[in-house]
Amino acid sequence: MRISDRRFAVFLMAPAALFLAIFVAYPLFRLVADSFFKISPIAGGPRDFVGLDNYFRAFASEAFMGAGWRTLAYTLVVVTLEFALGLGMALLFTMLGRNSQIWRTVFLYPLMIAPIVAGLLWKFLMIDNFGLIGTLMHQAGLLANPNQIGWLSDPNIVLFSVAIPDIWLTTSFMCLVLFAGLQNIPGDLIEAARLDGARAPAMLFRIVLPLLRPVIAVALVVRGIDAARAFDTILIQTNGGPQSASETMSLLIYRTMIRFGDPGLASAMGTIYLLAMLAVAFFAVSTIWRPGKDN
Amino acid sequence: MSSRTTISRITAIGGLSTAVLLAATACGAGGPAVTSGSAASTVNVLVEAGGHAELTGVAEQCKKDTGVSANFVELPYDGMFNRLSSEFSSGNVSFDVAALDSVWLPSFKDAVQPIDELFTDEAKKDIFPALVKEANVDGHFIGMPAWTNAEIILYRKDLFDDAKNKADFKAKYGYDLAAPTTWKQYQDISEFFTKDGMYGTDVKGGVETEWLAHVLQAGSPMVLDANNNVVIDNAAHKEALDFYVSMTKSAPPGAAQVDWAAAQNLFNQGKTAMTRFWAHAYRQIPKDAPVAGKVGAAPMIGGSAGVAGVPGPWYLSVPKATKNSDAAKKFIKCAYDHNDLGIESSLGLASRISAFEKYQDKAGYESFGPLIKTLNGAATATRPATEKWQQIVDTVLVPLLQKAVAGGNSTALLADAKKQIQDLLK
Repeated sequence: MRISDRRFAVFLMAPAALFLAIFVAYPLFRLVADSFFKISPIAGGPRDFVGLDNYFRAFASEAFMGAGWRTLAYTLVVVTLEFALGLGMALLFTMLGRNSQIWRTVFLYPLMIAPIVAGLLWKFLMIDNFGLIGTLMHQAGLLANPNQIGWLSDPNIVLFSVAIPDIWLTTSFMCLVLFAGLQNIPGDLIEAARLDGARAPAMLFRIVLPLLRPVIAVALVVRGIDAARAFDTILIQTNGGPQSASETMSLLIYRTMIRFGDPGLASAMGTIYLLAMLAVAFFAVSTIWRPGKDN
Repeated sequence: MSSRTTISRITAIGGLSTAVLLAATACGAGGPAVTSGSAASTVNVLVEAGGHAELTGVAEQCKKDTGVSANFVELPYDGMFNRLSSEFSSGNVSFDVAALDSVWLPSFKDAVQPIDELFTDEAKKDIFPALVKEANVDGHFIGMPAWTNAEIILYRKDLFDDAKNKADFKAKYGYDLAAPTTWKQYQDISEFFTKDGMYGTDVKGGVETEWLAHVLQAGSPMVLDANNNVVIDNAAHKEALDFYVSMTKSAPPGAAQVDWAAAQNLFNQGKTAMTRFWAHAYRQIPKDAPVAGKVGAAPMIGGSAGVAGVPGPWYLSVPKATKNSDAAKKFIKCAYDHNDLGIESSLGLASRISAFEKYQDKAGYESFGPLIKTLNGAATATRPATEKWQQIVDTVLVPLLQKAVAGGNSTALLADAKKQIQDLLK
């Protein structure tokens, strides 16, 4: 039996479309729909339509706005450091060539650790009174006493402290992606640049990075979204404290929904968060990747 | 621009959008709840880790007496509320009996059944009055106290009995070194032991209960009065907060993040000479801890309103959604009848006055006398019965304490907290 190309394409797409409809479209629809209601946290309770009230409450909430800025700061710190360190390591591995095989494997090790475990590990390293980092820095003569820096109890630095496990865990991911991208840069192009007298900085900024742009875009967008969803490592280290100084958007939405029993407000926050993430992703794609424009 | 370029651009952006949507919506919790479909003679009991040990003896006895066997589902404390909340909101529960922390009763009052028939006059006489009051929400008893707790004073007996410490203390403060019975003594002793890498006591900035006990001792209801007016800015709250913060100079650094686990660890590791802590911790000091066998227990200290603590009871409740109510209620009746069986468990607590009294004079149970005295304290009271309590604690009280221990102005912080709580209760 002959079937048309169009029908064949529909058959191929149907399973994925069905999956997306059930597991993405429907929950998304429910998320947006719930954001217009005031909902009882107990099943069978009242469900009243309140229009945009949940959105007004979210924007009027200090906790929501604070969590938004903190999430942005956290994401920028994490992604910037991961990108810088990951790119450095990827360039080093490329220079080492085959000799880097073992080091590449070792460098990937943190990627295989569960975030909860990493969070616990770093909590024990940084915790007040018993933390190893403070003790080691004290023994090295860098701190006057082991508790001089309240890694997890000082609201001014806690956001950076809770970012450390995340950076430790996923710098290797960034490195892996950029390393794969570097392998695809034609060797003759580098060779030609070298013959023309280009020095290392010029080669990096005028040849390597422009050619890596699509890979960088994907890496930044994927890691950016992932970092903005930071939840488990922070939950285990500080539970958002002290003074909510490490409460990111995911933690706030989770607490609003589960702990404070306000699914309507949590849905409104989730919807705003989703739209913000989509906007950032589109911006990143259109400015860094620019698909089609280079042709 | 060619159509091929257009298609590839749309595909790229579409693919990326899908990735974003997938990533952003991938934070759903857990799988679906399992409907209770077990045999009527088996009840699924959802408990926090310590509760499992506490109820194991009861379960064995209950099977002998009534034929109802218990299947325990054990969760860590932090996961309990979230699991309960998720299952109650789905209307499909996987358990027939749940052990609820007292703080959660108002939140889940609409999801659990009344068990008024279990609260006979005789039963009410044998349960601490504050607990009988707390179990009654909107005119119905919705939870049977399974075990209760309160903060008492734990102190290092070896340091207090040391001859040099005794002499030095008397020389400095003019009275004998002994377990404190006034807050002034507590301050002096804390100051005295803060030396050589050790601290007199701890200050817990990560939990609110201890500060609230000081509020009760100063003669005010906690945060809300009987008519649900916010009274957090009154003189008693300020006095309690100022006292609480004053102890930071004799406490380990990082008070903002010190919670129960951290404080217990500090004491068990020998870093603090005294701690105000839940009574069960006395029997939970590990045998290999540096302080094992060197700890004494004393009742919570009173303020101008007398001795007061905030009880920490857990209640056994039956969800409305279970199909196994009869067996669940039989299990709760067993738990009440054989309440003393929990005392020999690792948690080592009970809820009936008679059960505590049976053990209070036995060796190893020295914490029970101070616990009974604290629970019977004139000003001892349970937390306000509002379903917003957890939110008030998480978003107002704990951040308030953390700002206060970091040097914030107590009057301004309390005034600000009042406004925030009023907004939450609107």
